[in-house]
Amino acid sequence: MALRPEEITNIIKNKIEHFNTAADINEVGTVIQVGDGIARVHGLNHVKASELVDFGNGVKGMAMNLEYDNVGCVLMGSDQQVREGDTVKRTGEVISIPVGEKIIGRVVSPLGQPLDGKGPISPDKNMKLDIVAPGIIDRQPVKQPLQTGIKAIDSMVPIGKGQRELIIGDRQTGKTALAIDAIINQKNIPQEERCICIYVAVGQKQSTVAQVVKTLTDFGAMDYTVVVSATAADPASLLYIAPYAGCAIGEYFMWKGKDVLIVYDDLSKHAQAYRQMSLLLRRPPGREAYPGDVFYLHSRLLERACKLSKENGGGSLTALPIIETQANDVSAYIPTNVISITDGQIYLESNLFLSGIKPAVNVGLSVSRVGGSAQRKSMRKVAGTLRIDLSQYQELAGFAQFGSELDKESQRQIARGQRMTELLKQNQYSPLTVGEEVLVLYAGTHGYLDEIEVPQVLTYEKQLLAYVRAEKASVLQTLNTANELSDETEKQIINLLDTFKTVFKAGK
Amino acid sequence: MNSSQRLAAKRYAAAYDSLSRTNEQASLREKDLVAGQKSLARLDAWLINPCVALNEKKQVARELLKSWPQVSSFVEVLLDAKRYALLPEIVRQVQELLDNRQGIMRAQIVSAQPLTQVQQTHAIHALASRYGKEIKASFQTDKTLLGGLKIWCNGELIDGSISGELARLQEELMK
Repeated sequence: MALRPEEITNIIKNKIEHFNTAADINEVGTVIQVGDGIARVHGLNHVKASELVDFGNGVKGMAMNLEYDNVGCVLMGSDQQVREGDTVKRTGEVISIPVGEKIIGRVVSPLGQPLDGKGPISPDKNMKLDIVAPGIIDRQPVKQPLQTGIKAIDSMVPIGKGQRELIIGDRQTGKTALAIDAIINQKNIPQEERCICIYVAVGQKQSTVAQVVKTLTDFGAMDYTVVVSATAADPASLLYIAPYAGCAIGEYFMWKGKDVLIVYDDLSKHAQAYRQMSLLLRRPPGREAYPGDVFYLHSRLLERACKLSKENGGGSLTALPIIETQANDVSAYIPTNVISITDGQIYLESNLFLSGIKPAVNVGLSVSRVGGSAQRKSMRKVAGTLRIDLSQYQELAGFAQFGSELDKESQRQIARGQRMTELLKQNQYSPLTVGEEVLVLYAGTHGYLDEIEVPQVLTYEKQLLAYVRAEKASVLQTLNTANELSDETEKQIINLLDTFKTVFKAGK
Repeated sequence: MNSSQRLAAKRYAAAYDSLSRTNEQASLREKDLVAGQKSLARLDAWLINPCVALNEKKQVARELLKSWPQVSSFVEVLLDAKRYALLPEIVRQVQELLDNRQGIMRAQIVSAQPLTQVQQTHAIHALASRYGKEIKASFQTDKTLLGGLKIWCNGELIDGSISGELARLQEELMK
């Protein structure tokens, strides 16, 4: 791009001509104490809670504690440049983030500054970070499915648009991978139904965030994704506002009638950042030293996930918060809080992960409280009894370990269970379309796998999908688009699976 | 003196001021305090010295402040709390509180060049009409302002200086 010096001169001239030279009148205060990202300010008598204050040198802060003779502020930047005795100005604004269509595909800080070196982002409007969630009248029930492309999730723990589904598990159990797969899967969905995705990284390593961005770019998912990053190196105040910033970006699109999927990765670190701030502000500690309002911290964030009514454009904001547990303990403070706020949880277990079941979803403990009504009828028909079958299998498998002899029916159940467990395994970054999922699960639940050796199940699936894509694309097309599984389609599937049986055997 | 000491001084000043119900009482107490401070002034270094026993300090202070019994007890409180060093700031704050009671507002006016008498009265009049109160102003000079005035009054900063304007212009151009 060629730069024209005269154009720039004109812009500067214009700015100088229109510069307001009237005296600047501000309510001010003085810094009494500064350190650990917290400043105590004397003065600012009329400052409001959560108001943005200006410390000069480009450092802003947020008024958190309004006390008798001082104001406790958290700094939104380095505290190295703020000194005792510095003047602090009120701004009269609450914290907001500049948002626009151009933000899609970018990596931004919680204050909306670009972090990917692709130049400035031209905003359409400023969205307030902390707002009250839409009320009852503004909403409608969750009723559309949100496809994650993961067989185990879409069949047994279905997620609806506007739902809040928690992903919970120990470290290294594939929590982020699950969320990233759900984002990548949006690529499989027609553009008009596709969700805009927002990935909020809270307190993660810079390298991890860079890896996620690279993965999303490689799979072409950045075309509809925004990454909000507050890494471990950022001050606690930025970690604290990051989920709200992501949510504000999501709401901008939601109010335009679009569907949005937002991943908060993860809220345990968010709670820890808030705990740090609260303790430094000398708020009283409660259980596990978290402040008393840590429940409200998450409930007001997750309450903003919703499906808007038709009058409001019908947009939706689906939230996938992530919580990291310690030693599979879901009864710790933050996990129980977030479990009770969300509409269900996907529980990932390290034991399952280590025994090779990936995604390591614990079927018994994972639930979706509202997703069932949003599930496609075809999927419900195919996977309706899957969850019960698998729990019965697990119970029986426990008995079978003692070597006791089993009747024929039990043996059949065990055989089916083993094959279904195998079938629900899925590699990372390989989400399936809803048609493919229905087809594969149909084969499993209707006994087409019973004669196949367990280690062969995934090969069967792979070959079946390749066969259908090549030979019977029309069936897949119908399954992808139709909501219900008609008798006619079912006949086609049965035909297809019968024919494939011979093909597969021949291919062995 | 740093800001937290100033904040502590404010609390002592507020306590001393709250002893008086009427403006007249407050005015008398302020005069007592100033007189008491004056009579102790030459002993300041000795009264702050931590090597001297507290009882000894108290005894001397009591002797010197015999004619102002309330000031004497106030100074004893300060000595007990090891806050005697705050006394000059406390006196200043008490005077400010007295001004508040009498509807007088303090202002600090900083300019690049010393202001003429006419300019000073002009500035005071402008502030009086803005806040609707009588103004007691202190004047200072600071060459880094380059020109114009910077006024601290009623917890507000009115920045009409050239340096402030340049800083805002810089911010505007960087946007």
